[in-house]
Amino acid sequence: MISYDTVIGLEIHVALLTQSKFLCSCKASFGAPPNSQCCPICLGLPGALPLINEKAVEYATKAGIALNCQINHFSRFDRKNYFYPDLPKAYQITQDTFPLCTKGFLEYYVDDRLVKTEITRIHMEEEAGKLIHSGASIVDSEYSLVDYNRAGIPLIEIVTAPDIHHPQQARLFLEQLRLLLSYIGVSDTKMEEGSLRCDANISLKPSGSNVLGTKVEIKNLNSFRALERALEYEERRQSQVLNQGGIIRQESCTWDDRTGKTMPMRSKGDAPDYRIFPEPDLPPLHLDPVWVELIRATIPELPLERLKRFEAEYGLSRYEATFLVNYPDFGELFFALACQCRAYKAIVNLLMGDYARLAREKGHLDPQRLAELLTIVDEGQITQTQAKDVLEDLFSSHLSAREIVQEKGLEVMGDPESLRPILRQVLGANSELVHRFQNGDTKLLGFFVGQVMRVTQGKADPGVVNRLLRDELGK
Amino acid sequence: MIDRGEVIRMARLARLELSEAEIAQYQMDLTSFLISGEKLQKVDVSRVEGTSHAVPVTHELRKDEVGPSLPQDAVLLAGPKVQDGFFQVPRIVEAQE
Amino acid sequence: MKKLANLLETKQVSSQEIVEHYLGEITRQEPMLNAFITVDQEGALTQAQAADQRRAENRPLSPWDGIPIAIKDNISTRGLNTTCASRFLANYRPLFDATVVRYLKDAGLPILGKTNLDEFAMGSSTEYSAYGVTCNPHDRSRVSGGSSGGSAAAVAAGEIPWSLGSDTGGSIRQPASFCGVVGLKPTYGWVSRYGLVALAPSLDQIGPLATSVEDTAILFSLLAGADPKDASSAAAQTFEVPAWDERCIKGLKIGVPEEFFGKGLHPEVEQAVRRGLRALEEQGAVLVPISLSTNEYAIDTYLTLVTAEASSSLARYDGVRYGERVGAQDSNTMFAKSRAAGFGPEVKRRIILGTYVLSASHYEAYYEQAQRVRTLIRQDVLEAFRHVDVIITPTTPTAAFRIGAKQSPLEMYLSDLFTAMANLSGIPALSVPCGKDSKGLPLGMQIMGKHFSEALLFRVGHFVEKTVGIRGCCR
Ligand SMILES: [Mg+2]
Ligand SMILES: [Zn+2]
Repeated sequence: MISYDTVIGLEIHVALLTQSKFLCSCKASFGAPPNSQCCPICLGLPGALPLINEKAVEYATKAGIALNCQINHFSRFDRKNYFYPDLPKAYQITQDTFPLCTKGFLEYYVDDRLVKTEITRIHMEEEAGKLIHSGASIVDSEYSLVDYNRAGIPLIEIVTAPDIHHPQQARLFLEQLRLLLSYIGVSDTKMEEGSLRCDANISLKPSGSNVLGTKVEIKNLNSFRALERALEYEERRQSQVLNQGGIIRQESCTWDDRTGKTMPMRSKGDAPDYRIFPEPDLPPLHLDPVWVELIRATIPELPLERLKRFEAEYGLSRYEATFLVNYPDFGELFFALACQCRAYKAIVNLLMGDYARLAREKGHLDPQRLAELLTIVDEGQITQTQAKDVLEDLFSSHLSAREIVQEKGLEVMGDPESLRPILRQVLGANSELVHRFQNGDTKLLGFFVGQVMRVTQGKADPGVVNRLLRDELGK
Repeated sequence: MIDRGEVIRMARLARLELSEAEIAQYQMDLTSFLISGEKLQKVDVSRVEGTSHAVPVTHELRKDEVGPSLPQDAVLLAGPKVQDGFFQVPRIVEAQE
Repeated sequence: MKKLANLLETKQVSSQEIVEHYLGEITRQEPMLNAFITVDQEGALTQAQAADQRRAENRPLSPWDGIPIAIKDNISTRGLNTTCASRFLANYRPLFDATVVRYLKDAGLPILGKTNLDEFAMGSSTEYSAYGVTCNPHDRSRVSGGSSGGSAAAVAAGEIPWSLGSDTGGSIRQPASFCGVVGLKPTYGWVSRYGLVALAPSLDQIGPLATSVEDTAILFSLLAGADPKDASSAAAQTFEVPAWDERCIKGLKIGVPEEFFGKGLHPEVEQAVRRGLRALEEQGAVLVPISLSTNEYAIDTYLTLVTAEASSSLARYDGVRYGERVGAQDSNTMFAKSRAAGFGPEVKRRIILGTYVLSASHYEAYYEQAQRVRTLIRQDVLEAFRHVDVIITPTTPTAAFRIGAKQSPLEMYLSDLFTAMANLSGIPALSVPCGKDSKGLPLGMQIMGKHFSEALLFRVGHFVEKTVGIRGCCR
């Protein structure tokens, strides 16, 4: 059996978060009654002419900058001609020969390794309308219904070089890309709603060979999981075919999540002839370099930079830093807290623990109130266990952390003289276990600590209890 | 003479159902059109780029502001077949082109 | 038109009377001419009454308030059928006005009706209209020219004082010449194309037709200007009608390209144009023999580009959103049957040719090549204007031909032999009558100028009109 290298390239369509559509001023939002957000332009009525939305160009440029692309000061629009009921003009306005952005890359972690995938190009284009089929799927529908509300929403298409090497890497790339796009605020990147869609090309070649194999295109992967599974399936299928001496047919497939299989759509041998040519209704786009620099200045800190900063400046682990990067709201909160409290580890522990659970249910707390809690803990006024209680109350009341502590009469029992009797009482009640401890079962220490905490209702300072217990048991 | 199959392929691409007579006619027309255009092929254009826009204009971009859309009934008014606020089309099959 | 405006101003005549007069002419002559597809009697009278009301209140919208106009039926008029002379759009009523129509309404011009044309403006004789040929008022056995044949014939016959046409390769100038009226193909981008049903968007321009140069200029002043709805009109400004003070043309350098006076030019046409040139020379203009050698390629370049763009621009007529649908089991068959039933033979022919030159395997050899030759033509023209102020040629190689005379499409395409160059290079060109041939058929002289030099063209045209005119004799 020959071993093969997998070669994967991705094409990602991203709906931009503009107010109005790409080429007309209709509202670019979802959920309106069918065909109620349409005008002569997006319906392709005779005589209507397109007009480029400035914000769409800005967002596409922003994405290009964030993906380290060259922003082309000259780019051009083209017509891609094909008939389909959801395509009002029977051509899509897109950028073929001269795209807005070229030659970029995205860096992301695969396991512990930082890898780089080349972005070949990013271009702007218009979205098609939406089809609703009368039957269960397009093939067994007697008729279909067309809604052009979505037609003309601005998209960017991001194309990677074929230098992704395994399905998991493809998923990690896409996750990182999605995160980056949400950081720069150009899209809501909801795969389930179709505002981020991914097509994948995959081929195999004998290990070490420079010659690419025949590729298969998998269309419309609508979740990260679907992307990874579809590529794994296709990787397996292709290597089986090749190992049995078969050949891979160049084709487009769809992924069926239910059966876990790819299904051929049509063979690329008779791929449609799109007859692409320059769009005469739109002059070429000449970007002012100064304008591009102004856009560049609006790019916020990007996920990877931020990850590195969490690690280097705050001493967080990769795991902690990743959490804060992946949930930018938590990341922002972290920064707000870190200004006021230098116990960074304690902050991230709090955020990743109980706080995350509560915040997901009830929304974020005001950083000021949370900072006060952290300070109180840091100063040793209350214990971690007590802090949990206070946190719950912070979510349900309007009191400050100090007020809650006062109201509940919380304090730390750190005085050995008051703790010692409780300790002795606990040990006395568990003489059997004390015996076992003294015969070497040192793991029991935790049990004794827990008992003391229970009796003191969490007020005991665990550090002091620990020390005292060792003292007592060592006697 | 341009191949008959080529005319049929173009007609399919352009979604035009042609009669046998039309195919024959356009086969001839396409052929003579290409013959008449032969002298274009010989022009040396190696030193110029194509002109896709007659008068160079700078692109005035549109502000991202929502304007009025047409009312749904106006949109559907001219539709040859409409249903529940949608345009209806017969079964969609992948084209063989 | 100034006279008419004055009569209206001084209330010697009402707009209603004027409109009724022209409606009477239409009723009388239409059975012979067939210049109109739609006559909006009711709408025009309503608009005329409104104009009279405004005049009565001394608040006319413009000096031309109440003077009616006819509009080529490929220019969108809200609520008024716009068929493009095609069966496909037999019942199509636009939901919006073309920008130029809005301008005319804003100036108070009642719209009397929609004029005949070759289907989707593809043709040079109006014989390719689904609604019958428009006859030439000077000889009803002959064509009126095309594609704006209806607009030219209606003006020539006195059915309407002025009209709008559209010109992609000569479609205003050639019928103007055949019918003995004045017609202007403006600088590309000076008149908004918004609402003009596209034939070839990189060449199409809307322009005025009238019985005199002055009226043509007045109408042009109502049309010209930047339209934020048309990205290709962005650079344009408004146009002021120049003063008709018989300004002398002494020292004006007139380029006379030898290529336009050679093979294929009818001797009587040549005689008439040369006579006009002599008249100009006598007044002090300088005739400069020049060469526009690239005109040899103009027709083939034009045809390649126009068919390509048309095949794409006409793809939207698929029977989904508007127009005539032929039912079928599946969408593709529905598209193909609807288009086959809706389009006439010339439209189908150009779609086939255009699809061919754009298809993947021929794009480079045909479309791309034609675009580059277009650059050479443009350079050739611009180079000529470094040495001369205007270029004068015959508008057409012959006078109006007989209905049915041109059997082969290529023969028909040669009608644009002298006019296509202006469209390819985007420059303005004016056709002015310069006499009649021995059969009494009008002949036209074409005056071309630099981009945005319409004022000069009108000045020269005005002089030609005064000295030579349709009578064809000097003074
Ligand atoms: Mg795309
Ligand atoms: Zn719209």
